[in-house]
Amino acid sequence: MARVFVGMSGGVDSSVTASLLVEQGYDVTGVYMKNWTQDMPGMHCPWAEDVADAKRVAVSLGIDFEVFDFENEYKQQVVDAMVSEYKAGRTPNPDVMCNQEIKFKLFLDTALARGADLIATGHYARVTPDGKLMRAFDENKDQTYFLYRVKSEALKKTLFPLGDMTKQQVRDYATEKNLWTADKKESMGICFVGQVGIREFLEQYITLEPGEIILQETGQVVGRHDSAMLYTIGQRHGLNIGGGLPYYVTGKDIQKNQVYVSQNIDNQSMWRDELTLTDLSWVGASPEPTDDLQVRLRHRGSLLPLSGLSINDEKAQISLKESERAVAAGQSAVIYRGDEVMGGGIIS
Amino acid sequence: MMNEGFIYLDHAAATPVDPLVLDSMLPYFSELFFNPSSPYAQAVKVKRDYTEAKRRIAQNLGVQADELVMTAGATESINIAFSAARGKILVSSVEHSATLSAAKKAGDLIKIPANNRGRISPESLSRLMSPDVTFVSVGLVNNELGTVQPIEDIGRIIEVERQRRIASGENNPLIFHCDASQATALIDIKIKRLGVDLLTLSAAKVYGPKQVGLLWVKPGILLAPTIVGGGQENGLRSGTENVAGVIGFATALELASKRRSGERQRLQKMRDQMAQSLSQEFPEMIISSDSKKGLVNFLHISFPGLDAERLIFWLESRGVMVATGSACAANKGTRSHILEAIGMDDRAIQGSLRISLGRLSTEENIENATRLIIEAVNLEQARVR
Repeated sequence: MARVFVGMSGGVDSSVTASLLVEQGYDVTGVYMKNWTQDMPGMHCPWAEDVADAKRVAVSLGIDFEVFDFENEYKQQVVDAMVSEYKAGRTPNPDVMCNQEIKFKLFLDTALARGADLIATGHYARVTPDGKLMRAFDENKDQTYFLYRVKSEALKKTLFPLGDMTKQQVRDYATEKNLWTADKKESMGICFVGQVGIREFLEQYITLEPGEIILQETGQVVGRHDSAMLYTIGQRHGLNIGGGLPYYVTGKDIQKNQVYVSQNIDNQSMWRDELTLTDLSWVGASPEPTDDLQVRLRHRGSLLPLSGLSINDEKAQISLKESERAVAAGQSAVIYRGDEVMGGGIIS
Repeated sequence: MMNEGFIYLDHAAATPVDPLVLDSMLPYFSELFFNPSSPYAQAVKVKRDYTEAKRRIAQNLGVQADELVMTAGATESINIAFSAARGKILVSSVEHSATLSAAKKAGDLIKIPANNRGRISPESLSRLMSPDVTFVSVGLVNNELGTVQPIEDIGRIIEVERQRRIASGENNPLIFHCDASQATALIDIKIKRLGVDLLTLSAAKVYGPKQVGLLWVKPGILLAPTIVGGGQENGLRSGTENVAGVIGFATALELASKRRSGERQRLQKMRDQMAQSLSQEFPEMIISSDSKKGLVNFLHISFPGLDAERLIFWLESRGVMVATGSACAANKGTRSHILEAIGMDDRAIQGSLRISLGRLSTEENIENATRLIIEAVNLEQARVR
């Protein structure tokens, strides 16, 4: 039977993944990817506990278990890349980078070199035998937004056993099998930001400079911020401006370290119906403008119908049927054709 | 004491609070909650009970009550003890990390080597002794192997050096501290006989509450507090007295005195039986605990080539709880410095289990545990083959 290396994070999803594969008769090895071990101010990094949880499950399944140490690569390819994106005024997505560089490249290559035929993870996504990436059965849990930069060649060597299951089914299965992680709380996974604030994260790497908050309509200074890097277009909270109607971030100038705000939710700076995507990545072939396409601009966001698409070598232009609020540069736009994930790019 | 459905073989890590100990403590959480320093009669009565508990502890140890500093556990006692340490400090290489860390903080740590059973020889201490050594710290019982150190012999060497310094007009002090926390349940400690200047004990290892400990201070030894405030415990450990904890400690020590000799026999028999069965089954198994001179409830075994953490996870799912000195998640991947210090190789360390028996051990559950350990080791050996 095929040898599968399963990424086990110590959470319930990857525990169930490993258990299902054992039941299906695969020769399974559990692997914890040690990507991040640092504590942050106010946030204990539970990697050691997670390794123990993953290993407990592996032992109960009677499978081999290993720790792959990717800490250096993760620092270079995910953390450093993230920091430089923020410095450039964009809002990057670490999960997308982690999947692209670590889980479906480094982990895959390492596993194959160690004798694996396939890898598996606990992602909610589906993959066809010919390497197409498809949305998960559980629409609420679908994680394909984070997976669009994974290539077909990698997907052909990947199993997503949870793709046809709902989260509830996964939990029920874990309880029924008495898996140690059955009741474990949902974590943000290996990728760390989200548990700590982005401020605490960035402060580890760069000195944040305070600057002015400017009302876009009048140019009047209405407050101060700790760093323009911390703000994202469309964001409503955290402007430290007291009273009255809420303010929304409509733009920022990273050179001048200025953040522009408006109290008008209809402010056109926040609404976009044309997007330029760079840094394109397609799972297989790029989509045809004649296809019936949709785009997703954030994890679990709606699938927005496209009215137009043009792709040249490095850029894609997409037109939305209806304009969309709070589209942040640096975030990913993922293009779907129905259930199939075509790929996408970074919003510029 | 609870004993249903599991087999607890980690008494060196923690002991369950004896029901009689708990009973003695309970009133001081509720109707007798008063601050011993308060002026009214009800509080004065609590103060008396506290003083009486310290007297009982002192009597048990053969010392005076006002020589005891009650602390929040052995680690704190050790930290206070090391306030007298500076310059060159001799510490056994198999000490608990609390002692090693305190020594590193206080001065220049020099480790006294141990043999492959974790025992340090008085001769190796003699070799390391020099006129500028100010502090020596050796634990009575090693927490990983159960090795009992020759404290009295070490005390004599220290006394010789002290006399030499006096005779030659040197005024460099030389203080001897002993962490005896691992010993109390099974060894009758009469402090004066040990020839030490400072001695640390913990209630948590003798079926008493956690976060309760003491430091015995020989009259004339000057220490500095690590916690300052209201001046309790002769100014060496400020903070409102842990009345319930100290009363529990006193009860626990008295119970230990009554039960000690019976327990020693009972545990030794079971421990030896287990060691024999396992050795028969696995001739390649290494036993590092000392069956003759070590504490009778310890059994330290190594299966080179196996991953002890896997054994522990398999055993826990069958209700058996044991410890390991291997590099496991529970210690963030650092292997035991004690096993390194006795010269154990990496493969053996990774396959090491520390089994420590105690009051929860019965013939039946030791038999069951032995059978389950054999099953676990067989499974893992088959897996790695």
